[in-house]
Amino acid sequence: MSLLFKGRAQGAETIKIGVFQLLIMFFTDHLRQAVNSLGELWRSPFASLMTIGVLGFSITLPSTLYVLVKNTEQISQQWEQASEISLFLRTGVTDASAQQLLTRLRLWPEVAEVVYINPAEGLKEFQALSGLGDALNYLETNPLPGVVLVVPTVKYSSPTSAGILLNKLRKEREVEIGKLDIEWLERLYALIGIAKDLVTLLAVLLFFAVVLIIGNTIRLNILSKRDEIVVMKLVGATDAFIQRPFLYTGFWYGFLGGIMAWVTVLIILLWVDYSMQDFMQKYQVSFDLTVMDLSTLIVMLSVSVSLGIAGSLLSVQRHVKDIEPR
Amino acid sequence: MIKFEQVSKTYPGGQQALRKVDFHVEKGEMAFLTGHSGAGKSTLLKLISIMERPTVGRVLINGHNLSSIKRREIAYIRRDIGMIFQSHQLLMDKTVFDNVSLPLVIEGHTRKNIAKRVDAALEMVGLRDKAKNLPITLSGGEQQRVGIARAVVNRPPLLLADEPTGNLDPKLSMEIIRLFEDFNQAGVSVFIATHDLGLIARMKYRTLTLKNGQMITDGLDEQPNQGLYV
Repeated sequence: MSLLFKGRAQGAETIKIGVFQLLIMFFTDHLRQAVNSLGELWRSPFASLMTIGVLGFSITLPSTLYVLVKNTEQISQQWEQASEISLFLRTGVTDASAQQLLTRLRLWPEVAEVVYINPAEGLKEFQALSGLGDALNYLETNPLPGVVLVVPTVKYSSPTSAGILLNKLRKEREVEIGKLDIEWLERLYALIGIAKDLVTLLAVLLFFAVVLIIGNTIRLNILSKRDEIVVMKLVGATDAFIQRPFLYTGFWYGFLGGIMAWVTVLIILLWVDYSMQDFMQKYQVSFDLTVMDLSTLIVMLSVSVSLGIAGSLLSVQRHVKDIEPR
Repeated sequence: MIKFEQVSKTYPGGQQALRKVDFHVEKGEMAFLTGHSGAGKSTLLKLISIMERPTVGRVLINGHNLSSIKRREIAYIRRDIGMIFQSHQLLMDKTVFDNVSLPLVIEGHTRKNIAKRVDAALEMVGLRDKAKNLPITLSGGEQQRVGIARAVVNRPPLLLADEPTGNLDPKLSMEIIRLFEDFNQAGVSVFIATHDLGLIARMKYRTLTLKNGQMITDGLDEQPNQGLYV
């Protein structure tokens, strides 16, 4: 509606069109502008590729690290023996009552596996491993208690929950002492925690850089189209209308950068995978890089698209406003 | 249609471009604005299209005070004013059709409607067969007519022209002015700034003359060679 001339229709009101057609026009207009912006990028492929490259690589680094950390976490979960709990039984507990304890423990939801080592077996093992050999034969009685090895389920193998389980096990009548070699596991988890923090920090810094780089690229785009923007303002274009193609350019930078990052991460992981498998086999742990699936692609794309749009928004809001016909 | 009430414009730095300018161009009128370069013609036009704001006084279009127009409303004001420039202000990498259709695209018309209106506008200025050309391949007069087609394509009630015949020979200039007369006869108010006195002398239209930012004549300029421009 015209501000100055009452009754003078502006734009789409001139001819009667339905809401549905308006909606279709809205989408076709946006689609056309999106395709136009993509065409603009295509017309200067080298400059576009550089910007897309910056965005792609900036997302590649934190993504790769994230995948590796995620995998390390999974591996550490495979080391169930890490939170294996040893229960030393009281002296005087017979094999029969130890077996009773075993049957009870097997019913616990936290427990994956229980193994009983009776004092005689324990002595034999100790003899073999300690190197004391025949010297042990001089003992009058077997000093070793019966031992029950409890392996918690994956869910209960983290340091804290394994600790809780240990306390619960200690309350059993037959148990004298319970021990959990938890320290190195705690250290590993702490290390993973630090690695996670560092990856987050790195990602945040790189994302900031990306927003600024995209913002600057779009700023140069805007300035190179100064004359065109002046003409558009002279014939009555709103800032929003002028901004739109630049926002789409930001969108495409983000989208293409995101795809590039995804492909790069995939290649890096395939490359690393081989040597990783070799390394991991020495620890008898299977290692699967299965994190690069569709949902990761979607997450990476949405992150990079939002970065692209954020950068473009940052510069569009400043610079389109500043260009005025003189 | 255009009303100036005691309008003064002082640029930062103290240069006074307009001093207490007072005039009224009626609805459906066609008027010329003349004066030396630097007399304030461009400033006056910029006050109408809100490229500048007056320091003192009021500018009204159709009774609406432009000082009440907010920054984000300016775009909508410009849709009501067809503007024509000496430098044409065309997009050189877009076809004639794309240039002329720009105001309609901005207003969000349907494709069908755009094609129809652009066709009609180009027909009026006699460039229908050049729709697919780039402006760079056209002559100066033809480029100016593309600019005119773009100014009238959304049928604004007011046309403003800043030196529309600036670089054209007298015959071409006359053709351009005849175009403006056609639009004026269709009910559009036309306001043309020019220093081409010979052109004005051949017609009987109201002529406003600016000198050093002041309005010195307002009326039919029957004897333009009065030594005002010595």
